[in-house]
Amino acid sequence: MRRYTINMLLALAAVLLVLMAQTNLMDKYALQIVMLIGINCIFATSLNLVNGYMGEFSCGHAGFMCVGAYVGSLLSVAFFSDSALFGQALFGPEWALALFPLVLIGAMIAAAVAGLLVALPSFRTRDDYLAIITIAANYIVISIIENIDAIGGPRGFSGMKKTVNAMADSVNTLLDGFVGFLGFDFVVSDSDYAMSAAVVMLIWTLIGAFICVQVIRRLMTSTYGKSISAICQNEVAAEIMGINTNRAKIMAFMISSGLGGLAGVLYAHVYGYVNAQSFNLLKSTEGLVMVYLGGMGSLSGVLLAAVAFTLLVELLRFVIPWLNTTLHEVNLLPADYQLDQIWTWVIIPLMLILLMQFRPEGFLGNRELTHVFPGLKRWFTLK
Amino acid sequence: MLQVSNLKAAYGKIEALHGISFQVNRGEIVTLIGANGAGKSTTLKALMRLRPPESPVVTGGDITVDGVSLLDMAAHRVVADIGMTLAPEGRRIFGNLTVMENLQLASWSRREQDTDKAIRHIFDLFPRLAERARQRSDTLSGGEQQMLAIGRALMTQCAILLLDEPSMGLAPLIMYDMFRTLKKLNAEAGLTLIIVEQNAHLALQVADRGYVLDTGQIVAEGPAQELLHRPEIKAAYLGG
Repeated sequence: MRRYTINMLLALAAVLLVLMAQTNLMDKYALQIVMLIGINCIFATSLNLVNGYMGEFSCGHAGFMCVGAYVGSLLSVAFFSDSALFGQALFGPEWALALFPLVLIGAMIAAAVAGLLVALPSFRTRDDYLAIITIAANYIVISIIENIDAIGGPRGFSGMKKTVNAMADSVNTLLDGFVGFLGFDFVVSDSDYAMSAAVVMLIWTLIGAFICVQVIRRLMTSTYGKSISAICQNEVAAEIMGINTNRAKIMAFMISSGLGGLAGVLYAHVYGYVNAQSFNLLKSTEGLVMVYLGGMGSLSGVLLAAVAFTLLVELLRFVIPWLNTTLHEVNLLPADYQLDQIWTWVIIPLMLILLMQFRPEGFLGNRELTHVFPGLKRWFTLK
Repeated sequence: MLQVSNLKAAYGKIEALHGISFQVNRGEIVTLIGANGAGKSTTLKALMRLRPPESPVVTGGDITVDGVSLLDMAAHRVVADIGMTLAPEGRRIFGNLTVMENLQLASWSRREQDTDKAIRHIFDLFPRLAERARQRSDTLSGGEQQMLAIGRALMTQCAILLLDEPSMGLAPLIMYDMFRTLKKLNAEAGLTLIIVEQNAHLALQVADRGYVLDTGQIVAEGPAQELLHRPEIKAAYLGG
């Protein structure tokens, strides 16, 4: 019974988040950060499947996020809104809420297929050489998308906001119906309590993150998951025990990139706009930082790191201007020099250097939270 | 039952085996001896169908077990379908798992789930492993690790076991102990053994037949006792 408590707590936290967003206790900015945390959790834990559990070094994970983002966006526009690109909507906006999972699934499948770009070479290559291949895959994806003019090319692609707004409208209509059914004379959709588009995406992000964590947790506790760990330890030994290493690799890469695609499609709908360049190597590096910060092969560690990293980047938005003013006041900076946001990308890599120097295993190493604090086992298990 | 005919294998452009042929009958212990670089380990890797980059590509000849060619098989199928596995050079155990977990993982290719019984059998053969069951396997001594590597191979329910340098880095007493266990497995369970060894003297004492490899070719073969007493082999491999 106790094992369910953590799920109840998580569900409660999710409901609380949604309520806070709904009642404007949480402003738009905070909401945006919470959604970004959710997306980063998916992005980092899916990368952890390959880099942590399987022990390969994939540095092009953002490429799969990009595939997911674009395919999801295209599906979303084609399904639910009239556009110059696809003409009339396939289903129409009233179906947006019900069929949005199709968009998510389509994006995940496309990203998983793109994962083959890395999975197939991994049969005969590994380590540094495979790392180079993953970088190449990242670039291939970005270049292809940038050169398809029909979907915006380097200008990016938008139109997903219509889907999200349509979903919000559907939710509000449902709420109207529900309130009317309860017998109140109150129209939610015209009031201040109408659910905004952002809150709808918050709910989808929370669902996505939950599914992602569950998939990885269940995979890694299964026999297939153990074959992935065996490859990490020693590929030859895995083979002579009768493990089909090719199948395990394909599975790990495809699930990892598919979940990366889920992060992408959510990202595209949260911001309402995608551009191939926002999924370049820098984004892949962010994923690597989260994985190494949390500890390779530790699901709870990487989740913690994804939260901490996202908050840190946002925190620096305030800390750097503050530092700028303070340092000018005490005359430690030349008067004509301004400390600006570029320093975020000095401070974060610097932290990575310090981390590798003093705690190379990350927050938790390859252990889970329940191994570090055994008392937590009463509440939940991750492995 | 295992028939290797005119096997050629290469690492990239470098040919390591220049067409070797030998056969191993069911229930036999056969040893391949030879100097460093003679192609002993290469032969085993080729037999196991392990993949490049560590392992060679077979460029000619054939490997058959009971008439079935292994050339188009992947390593995991050789283990599961043919029942042949390898205790590799350098042991390659899963260091961060316990002894017990190593053995459990190795039951991968079994279809039925009687792993407990099989693990008890391994512990009967190597009582030292039973004492260390809950210990992380990278904390074991070299001898214990080799026992674990062999135990792990046996967990796959193999009929043919390939051993690559099983005596490497072991104290003589432990080494004799291990070979005695292997001999017992061969006598009682009818396990077919192919042993690659630097320690030619020991290997020939245990084996029924032996093949001597030199730079990718078989230069001598015969019953182990006979090889043991041939003067030229004594001079080259047994230290006079």
